[in-house]
Amino acid sequence: MRLLAFDTATPATTVALALADEKLLTRRHEPGPGERPGHVSELLPLALELLDEAGVGFAQLDRLAVGIGPGTFTGLRIGVATARALAHAHGLPLVGVSTLRALAAGAAGPTADVPAHLAVLDARRGEAFAAAWAGEQELLAPAALAPEALAEAVAALPPGTVAIGDGAVRFRAVLETAGAVVPADDSAAHRVEAAVHARLAAGMEPTAADAVLPAYLRLPDAELALRRRRATAS
Amino acid sequence: MILALETSCDDTCAAVVTQDGEIRSNVISSQGVHDRYGGVVPEVASRHHLELIGPVVDDALAQAGISLPELDAIAVTQGPGLVGALLVGVSTAKALAAAHRLPLIPVDHLHGHVAASFLKPSEFEPPFLILIASGGHTLLAHVRDHGPDWEVLGATHDDAAGEAFDKGARMLGLGYPGGPALQRLAEDGDPEAFAFPTAQQVPGLDFSFSGLKTALLYKLRELGEEETERRRADLAASYQRAIVETLARRVERALETDPALPQRLALGGGVAANGPLRERMRGLGVAIDIPPIQLCTDNAAMIASAARHLPALPFPQYAALDAYATGERGL
Ligand SMILES: [Zn+2]
Repeated sequence: MRLLAFDTATPATTVALALADEKLLTRRHEPGPGERPGHVSELLPLALELLDEAGVGFAQLDRLAVGIGPGTFTGLRIGVATARALAHAHGLPLVGVSTLRALAAGAAGPTADVPAHLAVLDARRGEAFAAAWAGEQELLAPAALAPEALAEAVAALPPGTVAIGDGAVRFRAVLETAGAVVPADDSAAHRVEAAVHARLAAGMEPTAADAVLPAYLRLPDAELALRRRRATAS
Repeated sequence: MILALETSCDDTCAAVVTQDGEIRSNVISSQGVHDRYGGVVPEVASRHHLELIGPVVDDALAQAGISLPELDAIAVTQGPGLVGALLVGVSTAKALAAAHRLPLIPVDHLHGHVAASFLKPSEFEPPFLILIASGGHTLLAHVRDHGPDWEVLGATHDDAAGEAFDKGARMLGLGYPGGPALQRLAEDGDPEAFAFPTAQQVPGLDFSFSGLKTALLYKLRELGEEETERRRADLAASYQRAIVETLARRVERALETDPALPQRLALGGGVAANGPLRERMRGLGVAIDIPPIQLCTDNAAMIASAARHLPALPFPQYAALDAYATGERGL
């Protein structure tokens, strides 16, 4: 199956092209320290580079996959808008892949003795997006959690659970105190890689392209403020 | 044929326009979800754009009876506007174009408002002056040719005209969006009842609405609740008149002080829907073009129209194209 996958939920822009003979091509852009994410200017050029390298056009793809987050709202929309438009333009099947699921599945590969993987992304504002799996089994559903809630969630997971992702690095102290294992800051396990999305998406059922939307996991600030105002008024 | 996408604020728009300016389709999905917040919320607008843009593009293509690969180019609003909202349109347009190796034409939103006048059937041809007044912009420009290097003669120092309408409406308890509600209330009022300022002290051809806003606030305090309630229609009518006069007198000043300027005027932007403003402008005694209201408010046909006169970026030169926010570039 020829499958193009990408993820823009984290500051990185990651793209992978899986080809019929199990060959996998990847490209990645990581913003430097203090630099803004390059999603809008990097995503399409990286995808085109991969297609060029493989000598494949969009029309020859069998499937598209996109990371649906959670993550930065603007980044997610750039990825999902691009995926939906590409799918639409050639009637390609599109699969939305949870970025947390891909992060956990990516780390799960070689370490079979790890009881569970907790994927943690920096949700800013002192919160983390987190979810956990033991193999295929979901132990913690994706949610935005404050540090105390994150610690509580970790306490309920099997001992020795490995936490990965930029949020795991950011909340290392909280996670380790609660009993999770966090790999070294520079471990590749913390990186979201579209190669994993490509692998997962090959085995998933595509949905209607219009049904693929970001998993924001958080309401817009204005909506939260409005609900607070209404709650205090009543 | 050009397919254009416009997502700079809270309307999700797509249109198909021919090279000679005939509108084949002009689809506008007004989100209508921002009223509950009392104004456009960028994050809410962006979320809706993402959900709506696909179906809106489909509608525009279907109504025009054309498919993507048959297009000559795709155009998109690059800025200025709400960046998160613009990025949905830019990402979508780039992907649609790249998928079929079509050229892409990035368009400035304000160029679009000018180019609305070039569209058939009115086909108002340059040179002319244009007054663009909406919730986001207020400016007077000299349109010498099809662009895009037009001369801005005056712009607002503070609020946009549409913002002045909205803020006045809020002070009078009319909710959001305020423009149409204020105009309706004003119909039963006396525009001469109160003398509100029209920024005549602002030099040149620039606009200002902050003094007017403050004047209304003080007037409401002075009148007190009961009297304000009794005279709401008069207040609305007088306030509206001040906005209309602020706009109209700048145009008059331009026409009087520089005889070299064309004695032709076009209106653009959502405020061009205002009845008294249209009437006042028609009374200026110059040739005037006011496009139909769906071409004055934000739409994609005007973006396609501007794109007709701009260079197209061939595939894949536009792959890294980014959006730009309000204030990053001028007309
Ligand atoms: Zn506008």
